[in-house]
Amino acid sequence: MASNWQEETIRVAGLDTQVFSGGQGDPLLVLHGAGGNPGWMPYCEKLAARFRVIAPSHPGFGASDRPDWMERVHDLAYFYRWFMEEQGLGPLPVVGFSMGGWLAAEMAAMCPASISRMVLVGAAGMKPHDTEITDIFLLTTEEMNALRFYDTKQVPDYEALFGLEPTDEARQTASWDREMAALLTWKPYMYNPKMPHLMAQVQLPTLIVWGKQDAIVPMECGELYQQAIPGAALTLIDHCGHSPQLEKPDAFLAAVLPFLTAS
Amino acid sequence: MVDVYYFTEMPYAAFDETEAERYPSMRLTFPNTYFDASTAHGLFRDYFDQYQWAEEVGFDGLMINEHHNTPSCMDVAVNLSAAVLGRVTKRAKILLLGNMLPTTDNPVRLAEEVAMADVISGGRIIAGVVRGIGVETWANNNIPNHNRERFEECHDLMMATWTRPGPFRWEGTHYHFRVINPWVLPVQKPHPPIWVPGTGSPETIEWAARLGYTYAAFLVPMDATVRLYDAYREHAVNNGYEATSDNFAYMVCCVCADTDEEAQEIGKHYMWRMGHPLRGPAEYWAPPGYLGRRRPVRPHSGGAPSAGRKPLHMLSYEELQEAYHLVVGSPQTVLEKLSHMRERLGFGSLLLEAQAGAMPHKETMRSLELLGRDVIPELKKG
Repeated sequence: MASNWQEETIRVAGLDTQVFSGGQGDPLLVLHGAGGNPGWMPYCEKLAARFRVIAPSHPGFGASDRPDWMERVHDLAYFYRWFMEEQGLGPLPVVGFSMGGWLAAEMAAMCPASISRMVLVGAAGMKPHDTEITDIFLLTTEEMNALRFYDTKQVPDYEALFGLEPTDEARQTASWDREMAALLTWKPYMYNPKMPHLMAQVQLPTLIVWGKQDAIVPMECGELYQQAIPGAALTLIDHCGHSPQLEKPDAFLAAVLPFLTAS
Repeated sequence: MVDVYYFTEMPYAAFDETEAERYPSMRLTFPNTYFDASTAHGLFRDYFDQYQWAEEVGFDGLMINEHHNTPSCMDVAVNLSAAVLGRVTKRAKILLLGNMLPTTDNPVRLAEEVAMADVISGGRIIAGVVRGIGVETWANNNIPNHNRERFEECHDLMMATWTRPGPFRWEGTHYHFRVINPWVLPVQKPHPPIWVPGTGSPETIEWAARLGYTYAAFLVPMDATVRLYDAYREHAVNNGYEATSDNFAYMVCCVCADTDEEAQEIGKHYMWRMGHPLRGPAEYWAPPGYLGRRRPVRPHSGGAPSAGRKPLHMLSYEELQEAYHLVVGSPQTVLEKLSHMRERLGFGSLLLEAQAGAMPHKETMRSLELLGRDVIPELKKG
């Protein structure tokens, strides 16, 4: 899998920040979800054929610093505004997975000039009316992994990605990631009540990608994002759970690449 | 002298406990459709009768506690039960152990309620404070990572409400009030005594010792309790005072009957409270961040935290008695065991959980009578 990617620590807004990056071309920011930064994944490699993929660990996740004052997803959006300004990056496309999708949506409301287009994948942040976002903090890791996918057997490299016994260091990181995710998303759980109003003013080209059988963040949230954001497109992937980029990578890339490369 | 307190969690055990096996735990998510209010009405009547009787037969104090989303404890607000006890009893101390500070959204209201109970009771309230187990963080939907800092700020604001002349203003981190000026203030000056329970957390010991609050060890083995009390004494010296027996309390389960054989039969009711109510997934007991900021991970036994010891729910009836978590017997047997504990530990207060599970009212009343009339006077002589 490994080719031309690297892991480094850069200083942003006075904080040590862990960044995975690789590929050639225009920069593309990839924002991870509440489970933490999985690192250089197969979908990063595929996107890197066309873009310079930049996948940081949010403050408080992985090896990135955790400042005391950051306690809301909104606070992370400030951080990424500074990240893009200090790195001279904007405007660039942003892809956000799950809680990272929520973060991308907050950024679109806060600093739209830094973003060229936005992809929300199984994004948290929107309050559903008829369904509920699954309470991941009540679940064990095993229960969570079982709910995350429609069918683990169709996840390429599932054993390599999830089947190995984690090292002590990985368990520690997972525990601290979970603590940070809980702090950011606890109450109200996994959404910003103002999100529909914020999204109504977004003028960025937006693609929403959802697994039809998402058992973590229900498809209704994707539909609500589409209704709220003017001109947003929604691509549903059938027989697919919360992480299309892992469970249906071909369908995911078939939806996302044309959108990201459109001029 | 030692003061002896009666304590029941006011459990609701009137259902088939094996139902709990169908759910992750008997706490938090065990469906409340098993609850019947008319049954609970009868239980509350019994429990308050027991508290009144305990005072009458010679107990020095009455201890109450609070939990949520669990049949193991129907007392969901210690200040409510304190108000009732304050009115229906005359002499005994009323030990709240305690108010859950981190789950409190309005510490001023909390301080007012305790003050009102202190006034109603004529100054008999001991205002214990607790962090609340992880399940309470879920039940009250508080951010787990804020537990420790909300505990401390809620405490500081509660104390200020009692002791600082109003009106004043509070702009804290978690609490903000423009006009604090409650009319009703405690009888006891400068404020009711504060106690704090613990099972081994070093932070709790240090905090209690720094402020001189009585530390109550809950179902902790005696050798471990010796170490906890020693740690408290050391912190006390570092804070410029010497701890006395008044700084230490000890909680155990205890039931007495006319004969050892009878008591051993009744004592089996404790296995209910030592069983399902203490089992549950790690996620229930320790939501992410509850144990503190970026704590090192360690393996979890799958039950209530036990500070590295064999969890209570894995101990047999005999093992619980050998470890002195459970004292069961005739007045003579119980007196010998409690005297031994007292000599070994030197606590000033002994908290007896003398009712548990479905232990019948009649047997509980007889047990309280034997404890009050035969055991406590002898224990006080020792």
